[in-house]
Amino acid sequence: MGKLKTEEFVVNMGPVHPATHGVCRLMLTMDGEKVVKIEPVIGYLHRAIEKVCENRTYPQCIPMMDRFEYVTSMSTNQVFSQACERLAEIEVPERAEYLRVIMLELNRIASHLIFYGTTAMDMGALTPFLYGLRERELIIDLFEMTCGQRLTYNYIRIGGVSKDIPKEFIPKCREALDIIEGKLVDYEGLLNENPIWLIRTKGIGHLPAELATSFGVSGPVLRASGVDYDIRRDDPYSIYDRFDWKVAVCQNGDCYDRYLLRLEEIRQSISIVRQALDGLPEGNIKAKVSPKFKPPVGEVYSRIENSRGEMGVYIQSDGTTKPLRVKCRGGSYNQLQALPYFGTGGLVADLVAIFATLDVILPEVDR
Amino acid sequence: MTKEELRSYIDSTFGSQLKALDTGRHDPMYEIEPQNLVKTCQALCDDEKVKFNFLCNISAVDTTEKFEVVYSIASLPNKLRLDFKFSLPYENAEIDSVQEVWSGANWHEREIWELYGINIRNHDNLTRFLLPDDWDQGFPMRKDWDAPDFIRLPEK
Repeated sequence: MGKLKTEEFVVNMGPVHPATHGVCRLMLTMDGEKVVKIEPVIGYLHRAIEKVCENRTYPQCIPMMDRFEYVTSMSTNQVFSQACERLAEIEVPERAEYLRVIMLELNRIASHLIFYGTTAMDMGALTPFLYGLRERELIIDLFEMTCGQRLTYNYIRIGGVSKDIPKEFIPKCREALDIIEGKLVDYEGLLNENPIWLIRTKGIGHLPAELATSFGVSGPVLRASGVDYDIRRDDPYSIYDRFDWKVAVCQNGDCYDRYLLRLEEIRQSISIVRQALDGLPEGNIKAKVSPKFKPPVGEVYSRIENSRGEMGVYIQSDGTTKPLRVKCRGGSYNQLQALPYFGTGGLVADLVAIFATLDVILPEVDR
Repeated sequence: MTKEELRSYIDSTFGSQLKALDTGRHDPMYEIEPQNLVKTCQALCDDEKVKFNFLCNISAVDTTEKFEVVYSIASLPNKLRLDFKFSLPYENAEIDSVQEVWSGANWHEREIWELYGINIRNHDNLTRFLLPDDWDQGFPMRKDWDAPDFIRLPEK
């Protein structure tokens, strides 16, 4: 018998594939069932946010930023407002800083709950998705109570926040935190020692620390590879240096560690929100900022720790009411860029697990 | 190392390559010569005292007279931040790729090439990715480019 002829072939995963979390196309070169080459094709969600911002005043840019990364809109509001405050040297009132930290951390918890749900759903387990979104609803209700919006908040403004929290916010928030903390035990019970979950995630998609650093991978993915770096602690912004919390770090850098690390981050965020609620002072919620906000000529790159890694905004001001240049940097951009260099060698099903645990969302990549 | 210590260390060690600017109010901002780009980046990345091993962001700016390219870098082990930039003439703008220093620069540079039309030397994959593959309407992030439905409002 002659030898069987084999050849590589190309498969498109996406752009509208449920496991690509948005519209991303991965061009896969396959050798049988093995993935030998990945080529991400992006740009399907490009809305030219940076160009649109150049034609808007600074306060008008904040709603645009909401659309830049809509799963954690609070972070996008914060990173843009922080850049403007650093440009114009505005002092943010104490109460506003506390409210910001509360909202940012609640948003991080909500984002990680979506991660928990969608990652498990991508691998065929539907129950975690229902659990994750059920608890996220509690947090979304808190946001709705405060600013009237459930997804794009436009809450954190230049110089402070737009509205004070209503009276029933604090008891409702404490109740939600207690519920989520209790449910975390359920979450872990569902997956942590589930044999199918372990086979699908343990040792899959190993990302070495040097590769991650070199590609600018940040946030939970970087920390899961053993690099102990968190912007909240190492380049502190807002009032994060006042709270007592731990940076979660894992060592293996595989899918399982990336999952475990995010669950631990939910715990830490709950602790930060509790401390902020305890310390919440009375007072003003917004510094005096003119609607015709004009920062002096200058430039700044401001960055914060988002649930998907380092989120940054570079603003160059020419002294008018509109920015000369706004550049948004999202964590997903660099995570997706690194994927072809460590995601190959496994099955397509492994790639789904890797892509899900990177927690990439595409609006942040395409802008 | 505090920001002041970083400023004085950069001045004493890299003073010939990095010239301090006062536009960066929050983090130190420097100006470099475009022809020394890769050498300077490699030195910043390799220096044991600072070790800037993490590229945060590269952004190009069109100031209507010239281009500016701004690099934001960070050091993970030493927890430092620094920006540097240089200007380019409007005609035949060209820069070197820094992807041999930080691999993550690849997509940032590709974006600059695509949206601003600044050519990148020694880049391994200069192909369109944010715009459609058959795009032929110029460089949309330049200030003189206006889309049909994008009207620049006058300054009030």
